[in-house]
Amino acid sequence: MFSDRTATGGARRRRLLALVGGLAIVISACGGSTASPSGAAQTAAAASASQAIESSVPPSAAPSDAGYTGPEATITYSIWGDPQEIKNQQAIVDAFHATTPKITVKVTVSDWDPYWDKLQTSIAGGDAPDVFAMDGPLFPDYQTRDVLLDLKPFIDRDGYDLGQLADQAVSDFKTPDGQFGVPRDLNVVALYYNKKMFDTAGIPYPDGTWDWAKLVDVAKQLTLKGAGGKTSQWGFYTESTDMENYWSELVWQNGGDIISADHKTSLVGSDQAAGGIQFLQDLIWKHKVMPDAAITDALGDAFEQGQAAMEANGSWLVATHQAAGLDFGIAPLPKGPAGQATSINPTGAVVYKGTKSPEAAWAFVKYLASPAAQTKLMELKASLPANKAVLTGPFATSFDGAKVLADAIGYAHIKPSFKGFNDWTTALQTELDANVFTEPKKTARQALTDVLPKLDEILAGQ
Amino acid sequence: MTRLRRPASRRGGGPLAGEGRWALAFLLPTLLGLAVLSAGPILATLAISLTKWDLLTAPKLVGLDNFLALLSDDRFLKALRNTFFYTVVSVPIGLVVALALALALNTKVRGIAFIRTAYFLPVVTSTIAIALVWQWIYSADSGLLNQVLGVFGITSQKWLSDPTLAMPSIIAMSIWQGLGVNVIIFLAGLQAIPSDLLDAASVDGAGSWARLRNVTLPLLTPSVFFTGVLSLIGSFQVFDQIFVLVKPRPTEATITVVYFIYENGFRFFKMGYASAASWILFLIVAFFSAVYFRSQNRWVHYQ
Repeated sequence: MFSDRTATGGARRRRLLALVGGLAIVISACGGSTASPSGAAQTAAAASASQAIESSVPPSAAPSDAGYTGPEATITYSIWGDPQEIKNQQAIVDAFHATTPKITVKVTVSDWDPYWDKLQTSIAGGDAPDVFAMDGPLFPDYQTRDVLLDLKPFIDRDGYDLGQLADQAVSDFKTPDGQFGVPRDLNVVALYYNKKMFDTAGIPYPDGTWDWAKLVDVAKQLTLKGAGGKTSQWGFYTESTDMENYWSELVWQNGGDIISADHKTSLVGSDQAAGGIQFLQDLIWKHKVMPDAAITDALGDAFEQGQAAMEANGSWLVATHQAAGLDFGIAPLPKGPAGQATSINPTGAVVYKGTKSPEAAWAFVKYLASPAAQTKLMELKASLPANKAVLTGPFATSFDGAKVLADAIGYAHIKPSFKGFNDWTTALQTELDANVFTEPKKTARQALTDVLPKLDEILAGQ
Repeated sequence: MTRLRRPASRRGGGPLAGEGRWALAFLLPTLLGLAVLSAGPILATLAISLTKWDLLTAPKLVGLDNFLALLSDDRFLKALRNTFFYTVVSVPIGLVVALALALALNTKVRGIAFIRTAYFLPVVTSTIAIALVWQWIYSADSGLLNQVLGVFGITSQKWLSDPTLAMPSIIAMSIWQGLGVNVIIFLAGLQAIPSDLLDAASVDGAGSWARLRNVTLPLLTPSVFFTGVLSLIGSFQVFDQIFVLVKPRPTEATITVVYFIYENGFRFFKMGYASAASWILFLIVAFFSAVYFRSQNRWVHYQ
């Protein structure tokens, strides 16, 4: 159905939910005036419009203020999100206010696309939120434009231990000039499998020993034809429209890379990178074990619909798959010729450089990464906690497969993050979508050779 | 069926001078709004188009570089081509279909109000809801359209992802969506035609086709002109259908100029480039609107 237009995977879920919300509104409207709108529709309606919610928890009887000694302050906190996330973030904000009554936090929530439109215009107008969520890959586009506050002085002064947070996620918001954000949560990509379909076929569940050949072999066995030769069950499903889920993993597993460390040269032109992307084209058009883009446009997530046995996708889908009533397990991604790899993509909390309350903003950012807030965040099952104590502690046992996701961080590559990310990925993905994935007009090798000059031109223009 | 009467020159006062002042007073709120909310931003865009500006840091003056770069930007040229195609196809078809519908709806049968409302409903429905329904209609896997065609033995088509079918599919949805507005304007135009003219034509022995051809259509030309100019401008600015229907992002077959502007301004941090593109679009729209307005003397009849 709908997927995200920007090139960030985690956002796909957000967009999807927002549109499901839209559908709920339509349905409730169709019900006529006699039918009372469902709670879901109301929440969705509340979510689709961006809104400000003021923290409503009264100051606790014994204010502790958790070490905050600054003046009373009201700060704004902007995030993108769906209905569940709004409620969850509000609970976190309320809990913060209970421990630090001198600081009131107003949460503003938008859908993914308007979030960035509004953020840019509000920064341009000098009226940006004090604290806002930042997608890892887009961080350099903001940091290099000098709109984020360096948190290093606060970290040093307070002796704040960044080591308590996932290392790759911390370094994603770090530059030679300082630390411009603190990770709030993160996502990795893994292999979901439908237990019933494996049981029916008498095939053992996927595990850490799997490689590409095994994936193709089992996916073929689990691809079933119905009446008229139409595929009634797909062996495999993933998305081809974003590197995060899952062609960047295939590139890394094949010994390739996406972009040079100095972000000046595109590395997707190498034979190893081409080989990884070719493997995805082969799954669709050669092995025919996964639906092509046109079918996916229509069907949505085939795994979620109970029409695919396996799915390589992000940890943000756990709650969605549970809500779909699937009996599923989670395994590491199958290994490639160059070994194991997955993708990690953090969301950070960053502070606007022009904030009038830097101390209050820093106190709130610290709280967002604290075990108390991270445990609340975990309940969403929309992402992994960034705090190591929560990640390897309560999170790892919170549902079947959570430990696989937590362990995946050990072999994860950070999702590429550089200035011009949207521009670069749009050019690359447009070429891949049109000529490699939607229809196999070109080999991955040919398409990458064709698009490479454009990609390096974009990097040169940053 | 006289031509538009041109009022005598008002220069030098005369009986109309006082009225003119009143007219200005009534126009003032609109004029102020236009000046502040339209003319200001339009001029600002012109200034921005001469800069390299990422919205967040200070703009750098680059002269005409953005315009020159656009002319060799393959994606922009494709967006222009797609937008022209969209306009050339959707405007005439949209007008003819709306006119035919308005003529059919201009009767006094039972339930006509309901039918008219039904045609207007898409206009007041959110594009998101419409796009969801049309995605299902166009679905490659088991969409309504493919199922209906399947009955006649026609193989399934990928309506939205096939490069040659995608734009026509979007145009079909847009025509359906915009029909209501044109139908309403045409209906109003039809009902303003004095029945004595039609009666006189009947008495003179004109059949229904001759009455339509020689009385109704000529008197409806002001409405056609008006809907035409609205459709023309709206078509050049097509955006939301593309934004919601083509996922995850428009291909080279479906990107339009306004989408290009949005993408560059708000996704790629290229406000100067986006502003230059919007000025090119503005000049194109202004040119075709001017040509269209000049043509009205030849075919638009005012009573």
